[in-house]
Amino acid sequence: MTEILRPGVGFVFMKVGTHAGEELDDIIARKQREIADAGYALWGYGGNTCHPFNTVQPFARDYVRRDGVIYLVMQPMTSRHSAPPARAAEFSRDGVTWEQVPHAINVLGSRYAIAIDELRPEAFDLPLEHTKVAIGTSAGRRGDRYISGRVDKGCLELDDDGLPTGPSVTTVRIGLVARMVEPYAVLVRSPLLDQDPGRMAAEVLDVAGET
Amino acid sequence: MASDVIDLQAAINAVSDVVQNRPRPLREFDQIYMKTADMVLQSEFIARWADGKRLAFIGDGDAISVCVAYLRQRGIFGYGPASITVFDFDERICNAVTRFAEKEGLESLSSTLYNCLDPFPGPCDFDGFYTNPPWGASNAGESVKVFMQRGMEATRHGGEGVVVVADDPELEWPKLVLANLQRAALDAGFYVQRLMPEVHSYHLDDAPDLRSCNVILRALPGNAREGASAAISDPVRIANFYGRQGDPIVRYIRETARLDYGKANETEYALELLESPK
Repeated sequence: MTEILRPGVGFVFMKVGTHAGEELDDIIARKQREIADAGYALWGYGGNTCHPFNTVQPFARDYVRRDGVIYLVMQPMTSRHSAPPARAAEFSRDGVTWEQVPHAINVLGSRYAIAIDELRPEAFDLPLEHTKVAIGTSAGRRGDRYISGRVDKGCLELDDDGLPTGPSVTTVRIGLVARMVEPYAVLVRSPLLDQDPGRMAAEVLDVAGET
Repeated sequence: MASDVIDLQAAINAVSDVVQNRPRPLREFDQIYMKTADMVLQSEFIARWADGKRLAFIGDGDAISVCVAYLRQRGIFGYGPASITVFDFDERICNAVTRFAEKEGLESLSSTLYNCLDPFPGPCDFDGFYTNPPWGASNAGESVKVFMQRGMEATRHGGEGVVVVADDPELEWPKLVLANLQRAALDAGFYVQRLMPEVHSYHLDDAPDLRSCNVILRALPGNAREGASAAISDPVRIANFYGRQGDPIVRYIRETARLDYGKANETEYALELLESPK
């Protein structure tokens, strides 16, 4: 029995598999090396759910403040992902200030990444119908109704009653867990793929002004 | 008398022209675009509702303003607003409105770069307003109330308005937002004249079933009044304005100039040439 699934616990759920042409086992080995070398790794992801700074960051901060720790729990699956394996050179916590990705860390073919400092295989069942979305426009929706179709990840909370004692109809098998670390999630970009002059530029509010 | 007969194919194709002209949405600022069929129906409703009126759009990533003006100009609708001004903090959206209006000769359509946390710049003699604001899932609708306030100010608190907000019977937060919206409207001297539930859907990957409603507001008799517009700096009102990312820090989204607007960008592709004939 895993110690992660305590009543009311918050966690990020994600389906994982081949990414940018790299097999999952190879990704896991590479990320574990990066954690050993740099102290942390960036687990890349994409899509339009789990935006780093208006979803994952505030969600993770809330639960870390309460519980002291938050995990990324992953369901391995067979998948194809053929994005170009371009290495992200920069990451940003807020979309305004960008920093260099350390040489020891490689995020390939992703727009977003979750910061982790521990990655390990761990197998357990997750009954999605006993979870709910914890943040955003789907907040309150049951996990099994949310994780469907094109939605393959989410910021979820286990029901206060905890795990069901009876059978569950929407159980998924978790095979991999990672401990998340500040800043929890970031934007990443690659100079080769992001030199689009049509991209937006933000004009920042004058903090000393009326706002 | 406006005709009730609409050439649906022409309407969808015209809205397709508008969609082609829109900048890509920025999810971090809650720019979530309405689906095309719903844009056609929404444009028809707004054109009819605002027939002959001067209309202010407080934000308009969807480009309903452009649809309404364009379909009227093309004769697809026999009715529509006398003029439309779009106020938006995204220069890409303002420029897209201007570009389309110039290209299609829509003289009644214009745009102004404006952040709704700043005082409303005027003019304030509009007959009505339209807003599809950030839906306030993370601040109990406070962002909806800010956009609605600016719309009311655009009519000197004496006009009508349409506010588009989330409407989902399964979730709690849209109900709370709708209740707070109605409370704020009453406090400002407006009442809910009509509500059209669950009428729009969106390109929203993490909530593909989420719908929105039209809340149609009208000022109570004698409610019109002069009054200076003030900046909004109350920490309670601006917290989590665009979702749970804290206080807003961006005044304007600036467009990076490019000459090939609407065309594939050169960074998206490379040419591999045929071998030269021997």
